[in-house]
Amino acid sequence: MSTASAAVEQTITEFLTRVEKLPAALTADLFLYADGIGLDSLETAELSAIVEDEHGADPFNDGEMPQTVGDILAFYA
Amino acid sequence: MSTPASSEGGRVVIVTGGSRGLGAGIVRSYLESGDMVATCARSITPEVEAWQSDPATADRFLWAAADLASSADADAFVKAVVAKWGRVDVLINNAGVARDGIHSMFSDDDIDTVVDLNIKGTLYMSRAVGKRMLARRSGHIVNISSIVGLSGYRGLATYSATKAALDGLTRALARELGSRGIVVNGIAPGYLKTEMSHGLDGDQLNQIVRRTPAGRLGDPEDIARVCQFLTDPKGGYLTGQVIVVDGGLTS
Repeated sequence: MSTASAAVEQTITEFLTRVEKLPAALTADLFLYADGIGLDSLETAELSAIVEDEHGADPFNDGEMPQTVGDILAFYA
Repeated sequence: MSTPASSEGGRVVIVTGGSRGLGAGIVRSYLESGDMVATCARSITPEVEAWQSDPATADRFLWAAADLASSADADAFVKAVVAKWGRVDVLINNAGVARDGIHSMFSDDDIDTVVDLNIKGTLYMSRAVGKRMLARRSGHIVNISSIVGLSGYRGLATYSATKAALDGLTRALARELGSRGIVVNGIAPGYLKTEMSHGLDGDQLNQIVRRTPAGRLGDPEDIARVCQFLTDPKGGYLTGQVIVVDGGLTS
């Protein structure tokens, strides 16, 4: 994993810990919403703001919504 | 006037369209209450230059040229504020433009100009700031609308429509963001002694004054005072409301 991806994964981990939705194993194929991690719409907006401010760009504002943890990591790769 | 607090102690306040008129009055109020204030407009004014150079305000004031009808400009402005101060505590959506004339004769350009800044600009700013407030689970947003959004005014159909739209936005955002500690209200000012009232002629202004129980046009300070009330950090239970501040004109 690149340094950038590791930093983004750390941001995601910290966010999911704060909202108490950190799964036992944070894998790239984990679905972000519904029966995956279960982010609701407001939490998704929160994550959008956090990754944009910490990593300079927002994968949620780039046309297609990321569906998995891997989609977010791929955006910054 | 309260004593300015240190930069660490003040709120981070964005006032859109703060280079003149009502917006400048709101910027001045938050600078006087010790807050860190960012504002934007399409062009700089002597008042902005004074805040930039005054040692009492220079390190607590940020100005950027921006056309909020452009989402890219709005996003870049919010990013600049967050880069400088790390957060946004208060957003005052004040930027707006009025074009007057009988609606049947209004041009596409007039309609686009007023809708793009008054509605779309406010939506862009609320989107960019709102998600950062969500991440912090706190914040206050005030949308500056107008009594003409409630009562209408001959020759201001498009402007009135945009201001009524902001009142709808206020109620919707209050419902959408309320569970995360974000308070959203609106202020509907009456007729003020600012450039925005310049489309009204002397007879119209005199008639307005005669019909206003307070017996005068409003000052920016009248509106800024209500902004301060609605954005008090302890105020969390008054939300989704549009407060009419018009000297009693529409009472």
